[in-house]
Amino acid sequence: IQTLAQLTPPPRRHPRAEAAADAATSPRGATMVTSTKKTKKSGDNINNKLQLVMKSGKYTLGYKTVLRTLRNSKAKLVILANNCPPLRKSEIEYYAMLAKITVHHYHGNNVDLGTACGKYFRVCCLSIIDPGDSDIINATPAGQ
Amino acid sequence: EHAKMVKFLKTGKAVILLQGRFAGRKAVIVRVFEEGTRDRPYGHCLVAGLAKYPKKVIRKDSAKKTAKKSRVKCFLKLVNFTHIMPTRYTLDVDFKDVASGGPDALATRDKKVASCKAAKARLEERFKTGKNRWFFTKLRF
Repeated sequence: IQTLAQLTPPPRRHPRAEAAADAATSPRGATMVTSTKKTKKSGDNINNKLQLVMKSGKYTLGYKTVLRTLRNSKAKLVILANNCPPLRKSEIEYYAMLAKITVHHYHGNNVDLGTACGKYFRVCCLSIIDPGDSDIINATPAGQ
Repeated sequence: EHAKMVKFLKTGKAVILLQGRFAGRKAVIVRVFEEGTRDRPYGHCLVAGLAKYPKKVIRKDSAKKTAKKSRVKCFLKLVNFTHIMPTRYTLDVDFKDVASGGPDALATRDKKVASCKAAKARLEERFKTGKNRWFFTKLRF
């Protein structure tokens, strides 16, 4: 006689969800679910969203304009490259803290961020004023 | 959708000047000119700051010494937003007679002196209450 437990197969978990759950319960998993296993996908995601913003939205590139948009609260999201000088990074984070604007730390240096924006120059920090068709603002809520 | 864009450069915000003669000094925003004026077509604000911070008062100072040490020297300045560093502190001091003058509080020399004296009186009385201690300590750099 087979029991019900034997008859019903175990619920099939998506391999990525499994990996994420493993990462979450691993002893090192004090971090959020977006650990190393999932970073590749969300890295692509940010690039795609950024591409869409470049095409359809309003943005500014560069430290001076980022501060300006933070000051007059026009910015909705600020993205920093990972090789941004630490003083500049903390300054922008402080302004964003005062203005309650999220800062996203891009997984890549300024060369990569420039490429992601479709530009042929380096971009250390950029601010998105109007996302256009993209949902980049909602996709990175508290995302650091 | 979080459309919470907070303006933080408002009257009462404590800021630090970054450029000019008063670089490194703490100041309070008295009045904000968001869109600028014809003479200054950029966002700027009128700040009242401490040219000379009050000295450290210790318990065994006599009353005369305490009074002397608690004096501040104030300055009023129209300064561009890019030349100030906002902080998370605020200083809600009533600067009404300073701000009411507006742009022309700094127009003529004697008006500026009068406004400065008023601001100095306000700041001194705030220092004596012992509140906003961060504002009245010198920024070491």
